Amino acid sequence: MELAIYGKGGIGKSTISANISASLAMDGKKVLQIGCDPKHDSTRQLLNGKEPETVLDYIRSVGPADYRLQDVLLKGRFGVGCIEAGGPRPGVGCAGRGIITAFDFLERFHVKDDYDIVLYDVLGDVVCGGFAVPIRREYADRIILVTSGEFMSVYAANNILRGIKNYDGDRSRVLGIVLNCRNVEDEEERVSAFADAVSLPILAKIPRDEIFALAEREGRTAVEYPGPVSDLLKNLSSDIPDLPLYKAAPLSDEELEECILSVKKKDKTAHQHVSGNAGASITDAEDRILDDASHKEHKEKEQYTEQENAEEHEYRPGYLSKNVYRNEPLHGCAFNGAVTMSSNITDVPILAHGPLSCIYITYQTISSTGRRALFERGTILPSSLSPNLLSTTMDENDMVFGAMDKLLNRIREITEGDDPPKAVVVVSTCPAGIIGDDIEQAAALSTERTKVVVIKADGNLTGDYLQGMLTAYTELAKQIIDKDVPKVPDRVNIVFEKVIAKNTEQNFKLMESYLNRMGISVNCRFLTNTTYDALRSFNSAPLNLLANRDYTGLLLEDFFKREYDAEFYPEEFPVGFYETCKWLRGMGRYFGKEKEAEEIIREHQGEYESRIEKVRKVLKGKTLMIITYNHELDWMIGAAFDAGMQIPFVGIMNFSQDEGFRTELKETSFIGEITEDYDAMNRHKDVERIKPDILLTNYDSGDIYPGTICDTIPMCPDCGFYSGVEMLERWIKASDKGDKNGGWTNDKGLFDKYFAR
Amino acid sequence: MTKDFLTNILPDSLSGSVFAFEGIRRSLVLMNGPTGCKFYHSAISDSQYIRQMEFDPLKFPELWYFGQPRVPCTYLDKADYVYGSENKLEEALTFAREHVKPDIIAVINTPGAALIGDDIGRIANGIIKEIPVVVMESPGYSLTVWEGYERACEALMSSVFSGSDRDSIKNDKAPGKVYVNILGLCIWQRNWEGDLEELKKDLELCGIELNCALFADCTLSDIKDLKRADLNLVADPVFGKKAAILLKEYFGTDFVECSGIPVGFKAMEELMDEICRRTGKESCFENFMNESRKARARCYAHISRINSLTGLPKGVKYAVHGTASQCLGYCRDLSEYLGMVPDCVSCTGNEGPERDDLEKYLREKGYAGSLGRDILETEADIVLADGGMIAKLKEKGKLFSGIEIGMPTLGYVDVCPKTHLGIRGGLLLTEQVLNGLLY
Repeated sequence: MELAIYGKGGIGKSTISANISASLAMDGKKVLQIGCDPKHDSTRQLLNGKEPETVLDYIRSVGPADYRLQDVLLKGRFGVGCIEAGGPRPGVGCAGRGIITAFDFLERFHVKDDYDIVLYDVLGDVVCGGFAVPIRREYADRIILVTSGEFMSVYAANNILRGIKNYDGDRSRVLGIVLNCRNVEDEEERVSAFADAVSLPILAKIPRDEIFALAEREGRTAVEYPGPVSDLLKNLSSDIPDLPLYKAAPLSDEELEECILSVKKKDKTAHQHVSGNAGASITDAEDRILDDASHKEHKEKEQYTEQENAEEHEYRPGYLSKNVYRNEPLHGCAFNGAVTMSSNITDVPILAHGPLSCIYITYQTISSTGRRALFERGTILPSSLSPNLLSTTMDENDMVFGAMDKLLNRIREITEGDDPPKAVVVVSTCPAGIIGDDIEQAAALSTERTKVVVIKADGNLTGDYLQGMLTAYTELAKQIIDKDVPKVPDRVNIVFEKVIAKNTEQNFKLMESYLNRMGISVNCRFLTNTTYDALRSFNSAPLNLLANRDYTGLLLEDFFKREYDAEFYPEEFPVGFYETCKWLRGMGRYFGKEKEAEEIIREHQGEYESRIEKVRKVLKGKTLMIITYNHELDWMIGAAFDAGMQIPFVGIMNFSQDEGFRTELKETSFIGEITEDYDAMNRHKDVERIKPDILLTNYDSGDIYPGTICDTIPMCPDCGFYSGVEMLERWIKASDKGDKNGGWTNDKGLFDKYFAR
Repeated sequence: MTKDFLTNILPDSLSGSVFAFEGIRRSLVLMNGPTGCKFYHSAISDSQYIRQMEFDPLKFPELWYFGQPRVPCTYLDKADYVYGSENKLEEALTFAREHVKPDIIAVINTPGAALIGDDIGRIANGIIKEIPVVVMESPGYSLTVWEGYERACEALMSSVFSGSDRDSIKNDKAPGKVYVNILGLCIWQRNWEGDLEELKKDLELCGIELNCALFADCTLSDIKDLKRADLNLVADPVFGKKAAILLKEYFGTDFVECSGIPVGFKAMEELMDEICRRTGKESCFENFMNESRKARARCYAHISRINSLTGLPKGVKYAVHGTASQCLGYCRDLSEYLGMVPDCVSCTGNEGPERDDLEKYLREKGYAGSLGRDILETEADIVLADGGMIAKLKEKGKLFSGIEIGMPTLGYVDVCPKTHLGIRGGLLLTEQVLNGLLY
C-alpha cells in the first residue's frame, strides 16, 4: 500500500504522517515514510529529533559510483524506515524538481520492495508537477488530505483535489479528509461543508492537544501516549487499508468561497464540542504517559536512529556515462545525445518535447557532418542531412501550465495520419523535466501500426551527451528489438560507430568491403543510418562487431550480452596495419574464411612495407612527443616503431568519453614516459624539456617550438592498413620544406595588430 | 522511407539574444545553464566573428569555457536546478571579472535555468560593479531568433541608458560631420561582416561616417555614443526595427529602413539616395552612383554574353528561403534586375509588416502563387537558402545551383567577407547566378 498525505504547509500533516506510520508499525507492518518537504522534518518525531541527510543533499555531494541507500535511509521508532527528500532553501532553486530527482534516486534502489506500506508526506498545495509526483506517477494508491478550518488550508486541499483529478479522471484514489483542528471559528462546520461539497468523508477530527507538543519535545510520536488522541490516531491508521476510495471532485474558486465563507457561525458550545480535548493540560498528558507500561517497554527497545541495514540494496543506475559516473561537470546534454542517436533510425520521426532552441541545437549537431561531407566531397548522408525531427515547441504558457496535452495531441497527429511511421520516438528536454511533464504516458498511445518509444532524457537532468546516447541506445533496443527472430548465418551487426565523425561512412564502406569479400553481410548498424526493421531484427545476426572499443562501446557490449546473450567479436574496427591484419585473421577464423582474409592482407602487405621503407629513410631516429585525448594510439605508434622513431613522451589527457590508456607497446623500450591524466598546463615546459622533432596534439596551439614540426592527431582516425603510415608521410612532407610549419605562422603579430578584437 | 516531418528548424530567441551580445567587442556572454546550450553558440560565435587567435581549448579553463573560446557557461546540472545556480554563477562572474576583464557582461538564463527563478540580476550586480551587466532572466521559449535579438536590444538599452541618464548623454559630434548608425546586423547572419563593410563603404562614398553598427563589431563606447548619429539606418527591419524605434524614443533620432534588405545595385542606390537627402549630403550621392554604375557596367558585360547566346538569365526559376526581409530583398533584385521568376518564396516568419510587404510586392508583380509554396517541392534552377536547406534539397535529389544566404553554412570558409548588398553584393550575386545557370 502506498499512501500520500497532502496538506498545506504547517497544517500538521508531518505530525499526522509520523503518527500513522508509528501506529501501523506498532501493528507489525513494515512502514517506510518519505518526507517530501524541503524543510525535511517529516520524520523528526520518528527519529528522536535526529535529522537524516536528505536525498538531495546526498546526490549533490556524492557521485553515483558511491551511492549507498543506508546513507539516506534511517530506521526510526518501531522500525519505521525514514527518508527525507529535502530541497533548496526558500526563495532559490526549484523544490518541485527536487522531489522528482529524489524519487528517481529512490526508484533506482527499489527501496519500496522491503516495505508493506509506504507513506509520502507531501508539501501542501500541488504547486507544480514536482509536488504532484506521488500522485502522478501512480506511486500513491491512497490519498488523504489534511486540513484545518482556515480558508487557505481548505483552499490548498481543494487545489490538491484539482491536481488529483488532472491525473485520475474517473479513477478513485482519495480516502477522505483529516481535520487537524486549529480551533478557528466555525472550523468543523467549514470543513464539513467542504467535505460535503467535494463528496468526501471526514476520516478523523484530530483535536489540538498538548500531547503533540510533549511528544515532539521528547522526540516521540503521540500514539505512544495512551489516551483519546492516541486511540483516534490508531483507529484511523488501522482503518486505512479497508476504507473506500473516492474520486476527486474539486470545487471552482467561486464554489469554494461560497461553500466556506457562507458557513453560518455556530454557538460556542458546539465549537467546543468539535474541539474535543483541546483544553487538556500538559500535566494530564504527562500523567497518562507515566501510567503506560507499554511505553516503557518501547523505551527499552530504542534503537531509533540506527541506520537501516540496507546492504542488500544494490543501486541500479543503468548504464552511466563517465561524466555522470564520476560526478564530473557534464559535457553537452542527454537530450542532444539521445536525439542524435535516435535520428539514425532513418524511417522514424523524433519528437522533441521542449522549446525550439533545444531541437535546433541538436539539429546543428546532427547535420553539420552531413553538410560538410556534401560540401567537401559531394557525399550525401541522408540521416545527417534530413533528420526526421519534430518539436512540441513549448512556449511560455506551457512552462507554467504544462504541455502534456500538446505532446499527446502531436503524437496522435502522427500515429493517426494516413501514412503513419512504424514508430515515433519521444525525447524530453530539461524544461519539460523541470516542470514535471510525465512523457512516459505517451507510450500508451502506441497503435498497431506505430510504436511510441519514450526516452526520458530530460535535457541534462539525466546527464551529459554521452549519457543521452547510452539511454537512447538501451531504450531503443529494449523497446524495439524482437528477441525471437531466428539467427541468419554469415551475418553481423555493427555496434557503436561514431556517428558525428567525418569518416564514419568511409570507414564503414571499407569494413563492409572486407566483410563482403569474406561472404559476410551487415544486418543492423547500431545505431548508424539504419532502419526500424533492421533494428527490430537485431538478434538475427549471430555475431556483433564493436566499431569502437572505448568506454561507451564496452558498456554497450555488456548491455547486449546481458539483455540478449549476444556474442561479440573481441576486436574493434582496426586502425593501422597490424590491427587490420589481426582483425581480418580473427574474422576469417570465426567464419571459416581464413583464405579470404589472408588474400586481403597479402594485397596490402607489400604496399605497407614499401611505404614504411620510404619514411624510414627520413624518420629513423627522430623523436616523437604525443599529448592527446586519444586513449588508443597503437595504430600510429606501431608505424612509428616500424619507421625507427623514438617516442620519449606520451601525455594522455582526461577525456569525457573515454578512460584508461590502452597499448600493447607499453613495455617496449622505444616509448619513454607515459603520463595518464596529463595536466595540459605542463605542455610548454615539457616540450622545452623533451625538444621533440615532432609534436603531436589534438589541437595545434599555434605556439612555435623551433626545430619541431607540430601536427594534430585525428580524434577518430581512419580504419584500415595505412592510417599510421599516412601520418608519418605527412611529417616527411612538412620536413621537406624550408619552413617546417609554413610562413603564415610568422604573422601572429599582424593578427594581434590588425585583427584581434 | 525517410520523410521530412519538419521542413526547417530555426534557432529561437535564446540564440537571438546570445548572438546579439556576442556582436559587441570585448563583451562576455555568460550562459547560466548547462553546457548543452553553450557548445553551439560558442562554435558559431567563434567562426562568425573571430576575435582571438587561439583555437586550442587548453587556453581556456575547462570550467565555464569547456574547450571553446566564447560563451562560457555555469554548467548547471540536476542538483543546481533544485538548489539554485547562485554559487556557480558567482564563481563564473568572479572569474570573468578578475581574469577576462570584459567591457560589458550579459548573463542569459537558458530555458531550464529560467524556470527555477533565481534572481540572477541581484547576483550579477553584486559581483560586477565596474562595468555594465545586462541580465536576461528569460530567454523566451520558442520565440523567433529576431525576437530574442530585439529583447537583447531592449535589455542593453535600458542597462546602458537608464532613464535619468538619458538626457545628460553628450552629443560630441564634430562640426560638419554626418554620422549614421547601422541597425539590424547580427553575427548569426551568414554575411554580416561583408554586409557591414559594404554599407560602411557606400556610406563613406556619400561622405557619411559610420557611428555604431549595433551588435555587429561595435564597442561599448560606440553604443554609448548611439545618440550622436544624425540618422539610423535599418539594414534589416526584421532584426533592427525595434532598435530604431527605441532610439527614436530615447534620443529622437529618425531612421530609414529598406523594405527588404538592400540586395544588389538598385536597392542600395535608392537607399543611399534617401540617406543623402535626409542628411543633407545630396552633393555626395554622385560619388556613390559612379561606383555603382561602374559595377553595373561590369555585370552588363557578363550578363549580355550569356544572354546573347542563351536568352538567360531571363525567365530562370529561382527559390528563396529566408526571413521576410531577405525574401523581399532577393526577389526584388533577381526579378527586377536579372529578369528571373520566383518559383517558391519560403518565408521563415509568418507575421509582421515585412511579411505583409513581401506579400504585397509578389502580388503586384503577379507572383503571389510563389509565396508559401513548399520549398522542399521546388523545381527552381537557383535556390537561395541556408546551407542546411540546400543540403536537404540535394539529399532529395533536386537538381539546382545553391547560393547560401543564411546560417547554417555548408562549411565554406570565407576568408574574404562576402555580401549580396549594394555594389559588391550586386557583383557577387550576378556572378553566382550566372555560374549557376544551366546552359
